[in-house]
Amino acid sequence: MNYPRLKHWLEERYDLTDVRKFAKSKLIPEHRYDFLYYTGGITLFLFIIQFISGMLLAFYYVPHIDHAYKSIIDIVTKINMGWFFRSFHHWGAQLAILFLFIHLFGTLLVKAYRKPREMIWVTGFVLLIISIFFGLSGYLLLWDERAFAAVRVATGGAGALPVIGEFIKIFLRGGTEVTGETIVRFYAFHVAILPLITLCIIGLHVLLVQYHGVSVPTSLEKNKTSAVPFFPNVFYKDMIIWLIVLGVVVTLAVLLPPEIGIQADPLAPPPENIKPEWYFLCVLETLKLFPGEILGLNGETIAILCVSTGILFLFLIPFFARKANRGKKSPLFTSIAVVYVVYFVTMTVIGFLS
Amino acid sequence: MKQKFMTWVKSRLAVMGYALPLVVLSIICGLSTVGAEEKVPVFPQSTYDAYIIYQNLAIFWIFILGLIIIILMKLREIERTQKLGADNDNEDAPRLE
Repeated sequence: MNYPRLKHWLEERYDLTDVRKFAKSKLIPEHRYDFLYYTGGITLFLFIIQFISGMLLAFYYVPHIDHAYKSIIDIVTKINMGWFFRSFHHWGAQLAILFLFIHLFGTLLVKAYRKPREMIWVTGFVLLIISIFFGLSGYLLLWDERAFAAVRVATGGAGALPVIGEFIKIFLRGGTEVTGETIVRFYAFHVAILPLITLCIIGLHVLLVQYHGVSVPTSLEKNKTSAVPFFPNVFYKDMIIWLIVLGVVVTLAVLLPPEIGIQADPLAPPPENIKPEWYFLCVLETLKLFPGEILGLNGETIAILCVSTGILFLFLIPFFARKANRGKKSPLFTSIAVVYVVYFVTMTVIGFLS
Repeated sequence: MKQKFMTWVKSRLAVMGYALPLVVLSIICGLSTVGAEEKVPVFPQSTYDAYIIYQNLAIFWIFILGLIIIILMKLREIERTQKLGADNDNEDAPRLE
């Protein structure tokens, strides 16, 4: 398709030669692990559809203890296509976090975090943490008994952290207990604070990827790998994958609309066999491994400290992998990456089946 | 005898061929409501609405597959042009304007 008048109008006002040159000169390396490149694009696409579907839901949701649950029921039963957009938002979130994990573990396994791309890893990791908090804050907005119990456990867990734990718990809950204040607070996080931070960090992440270029695994760095231009070759492949992902989200939204439990009652006992969202199962199963008391110290605090240390080590891994930073093969850090991936998958499966 | 048995097996398999997708679909749909204490209808209840929704889902997939085929055709054409080297800009080429 060609629009000479529009092209002329734009060229009269803006110098597009540099943009055109940049688009043509940006190359994406082709190798046997290049499918990992597309997981980043898929995550970005899922974030976009989350923003759009979230905006539509925000028109009808009421963040008040007396109306939150009822407004969700109204969205699902009375609003035209409301059931679909709620289900679409739910499955979009699930897949966004799934692809974030795949992107993160892929990056970890091929050591794409190594020098000079440490900050790309750091921004990506922060995005994962934010996305998990997105999931938790969105889950409470439903205000059914499962959401209530899950948020009480999650914020209670944060409270077990030494020194700052109590402050975090009260800050998140808006008081000592999960109440209507917590809904308002989580709503503000979910629709204003987190999206703003996410937009800034996604921008920085993408900018850094443009600046440093796409990484090539250490094992393939010495061999001359071929590269294809981002525009139009990779751009078109991205489009195809995004279309398939859109189809999958729509299909899941239609075939598996998420259930709504009974309204939360802060005074009622928590329901039996309650399970958090799948991305919390690994942490939950790890916490279960620890006894109530270790050498006279609170077992829960020690467990949370151990989990936090594991997450912190993962966060700072580019600064420890010195051999990989020098461009040498690092079997130790490959093994560490494999252990992290296997542990996460195993504990999640155990948590799902138990 | 053997032929009769084979015909019977084939007829059973043919029935299963129709029944199996329906069973799988009903299990998938059923899973969505497992564990709901008080069932809030999260999907339109009338058969007519459900039929329209599934029909639209099928049309949506046809549309997606069509778009994918168009993009793939375009991509192949681009790759062919790139192989020929016809996509390189020639700064000295005379312009019509």
